[in-house]
Amino acid sequence: MFTMDITDIPLFAMLRGRLGYLSERQRLIAQNVANAETPGYRPNDLRPFSFDARVQAAQSAGSMAVTQPGHMALGASSPTANAAKFKSRKVSDSETTLDGNQVVLEEEMLKMSDARMNYDAAIGFYQKSLNLLRMAARAPGR
Amino acid sequence: MPEIKSAGSAAQSIAASALRAEQARMRIIAENIANANSTSRTPGGDPYRRQVPVFRPVQVDGGQGVRMVKVEPDRSDFKSEYEPGHPSANAQGYVKMPNVDSLVEALDMREAQRAYEANLNVIETARAMDMRTLDLLKK
Repeated sequence: MFTMDITDIPLFAMLRGRLGYLSERQRLIAQNVANAETPGYRPNDLRPFSFDARVQAAQSAGSMAVTQPGHMALGASSPTANAAKFKSRKVSDSETTLDGNQVVLEEEMLKMSDARMNYDAAIGFYQKSLNLLRMAARAPGR
Repeated sequence: MPEIKSAGSAAQSIAASALRAEQARMRIIAENIANANSTSRTPGGDPYRRQVPVFRPVQVDGGQGVRMVKVEPDRSDFKSEYEPGHPSANAQGYVKMPNVDSLVEALDMREAQRAYEANLNVIETARAMDMRTLDLLKK
């Protein structure tokens, strides 16, 4: 039996991955900012978002089969699922304080507004694409 | 039913833990400044000793937050002033003054304030991102 999910459309799958990536990045930035005064703390960041990595992640992640129309495709909506999907790594900011802390608040703020702007852009695309679908579904002449 | 949490709310609880920690740090700084001139009750005794907050990463709901795990005494030396008439003066007429430097405290306070604002910013951004997502439901 075949069911069509909105994420089966490549554009939506892609945007969903992008949104997941950006909110996971925002979570990591929150951790870095929270530990901006913790001695010896090294900040985390995600690797840059790439389509190839996204395809690989989709292939490697095990998913449950949808065998009946009532089943829902298993989504990665929880932060832990996101964390498993995107690998974080230690990335030092430009300065290290005497106590070994490597978080520079200004750089984290920059990263955060970058993530936010990209998130807004992705949401905008999602909205526009949904509107395209709606337009296609509407009866002609109305 | 398991609770589904957005990454935004995870970011918010992480930032909230930092707000609490900075708030506690501000309290310690206030204690230090308030007691910058608190001498001993007994003649020749030790005055107020400066307190230093210690931050450690802790696991909070959704990620690694931060907490003020303990407050340690500053082990630097006390200042000593010659004031024979002072009730806390020792036999030689010297009074031990607290090892609090108000300039250091003022700088620490600034730092705590800056960190607090940064964390508020994180909460606001995380909330705005979640709101944008919820806006998809509107139209």
